[in-house]
Amino acid sequence: MMPIWTKSGEKHAVTLLKVQDCHVLRYVSKEESGGKTAKLLVGGKNVSPFSKPESAHEIFKEAGVPRKQKVTTFNVTDDAIIKPGTPLYAAHFRPGQFVDVTAKTIGKGFQGVVKRWGFKGQPASHGQTKTHRRPGAVSTNKAAKVYRGKKMPGKMGNIYRTSFGLKVWRINTKHDIIYVNGSVPGHTNCLVKVRDSKLPTYKDCNKNPPFPTFFADGDEELPEDLFDEEIFQFTDPSVTFA
Amino acid sequence: RVSSDGKPPKFQPPPKPVIIDRKTQKEERRFLSPEFIPPRGRTDPLKYYIERKDMIQRRKVFNIPKFYVGSVLAVTTADPYASDKSKRFVGICIQRGGKGLGATFVLRNVIEDQGVEICYELYSPRIQAIEVLKLEKRLDENLVYLRDALPEYSTFDVNMKPVPPTDHEEIPVNKLQVRMKPKPWSKRWERPKYNIKGIKFELPEHKMKAAQKWSQPWMEFDMLREYNISKIEEKIRKELNEELEK
Repeated sequence: MMPIWTKSGEKHAVTLLKVQDCHVLRYVSKEESGGKTAKLLVGGKNVSPFSKPESAHEIFKEAGVPRKQKVTTFNVTDDAIIKPGTPLYAAHFRPGQFVDVTAKTIGKGFQGVVKRWGFKGQPASHGQTKTHRRPGAVSTNKAAKVYRGKKMPGKMGNIYRTSFGLKVWRINTKHDIIYVNGSVPGHTNCLVKVRDSKLPTYKDCNKNPPFPTFFADGDEELPEDLFDEEIFQFTDPSVTFA
Repeated sequence: RVSSDGKPPKFQPPPKPVIIDRKTQKEERRFLSPEFIPPRGRTDPLKYYIERKDMIQRRKVFNIPKFYVGSVLAVTTADPYASDKSKRFVGICIQRGGKGLGATFVLRNVIEDQGVEICYELYSPRIQAIEVLKLEKRLDENLVYLRDALPEYSTFDVNMKPVPPTDHEEIPVNKLQVRMKPKPWSKRWERPKYNIKGIKFELPEHKMKAAQKWSQPWMEFDMLREYNISKIEEKIRKELNEELEK
């Protein structure tokens, strides 16, 4: 995470996400998948092929791509279908766009009720016998049972969570890095899924996105760094208020 | 010596003396600001490389002078609410923290009997000028104990004239021993954990001995805590020198 300053001098914290060897693996049509839209399987980081059996390599062999660590699905409309085997780059996103980021949260192991659900616990003194961080009462008398989903101690973390509506401040096309506002679930160097935001406020945010995606062998030549309009660039002199 | 053709051997001039210029060698070891050195951790070095590029960009446009903890600085920042749209603060640098673009330094001064500490970010675009009024080092890297010292040690004249540095190579170390206010202090500065050399402790002997009970002499030999910066420093210095000369 890094600080970023706007032209008015305000500071924002930014997370750096690297797009590492992303390829489209397979196209699944609407009828085949049984959903409302077609799906595209996309694979992430490259990993050695020796730790999995040959049967697991079929998808990758068809696309002509080395084995990937993570495979995710994206719901896509029919006019945005991409041929399997095309690489995906960070330039698929543009600065000023809003994005949802999904990842597995940091695993905290088996945790008690105070840390996991934020219960208040009991006082430290005034006669409490061996009861300081316990859940207390679990249900009422009339219910005569414990409801399903009762908050109790258990394994915390290591589940998928999404941060919605994060602004993209800057994109580095040379190293394929996306600078995303705020924090993102997961530990450093973990695998993360980045999608266009589904929030209704940011529905019309992206005016001219590279559709269906940014192709590296196309005619478009992008500069090494793409900045949002409000970012203070370090090539400019210091900020002054008129 | 055996000579060919019976004639005396051809005169061989002595080899040219090799002059090792110590001054240029010393200039190469330029001051490397501590925020360039990446901390220990499992982050990808690419992140630090990209941050360093941004830091170098900013340094090309705006001059961040070399200074140490204990030097007196004057910082002018842009402020939308001030009448002149800019604010100037003079103070002694107490501590330098943070790595990369978020590097900060705290300046302390006593203005009208009120101690004031302001934490500035080195790479913030609101800073318009940083002047080093007095470049010097102190006996410690962290002068936070000045909060519990007598106020005369933290007062600096707001209209102080910059003191020109005497030597270009050696930075003067101010071996000042500071006198403290009566206890209680904000932190127990006499304990060996803080390892402070710049305080003149006027505590009784038995109290100083009792403080040594909290010493942890094994920490010095703990190999897992070692972080050897020499090779990383060299690489970063080379990178900096190349980039700043462009």
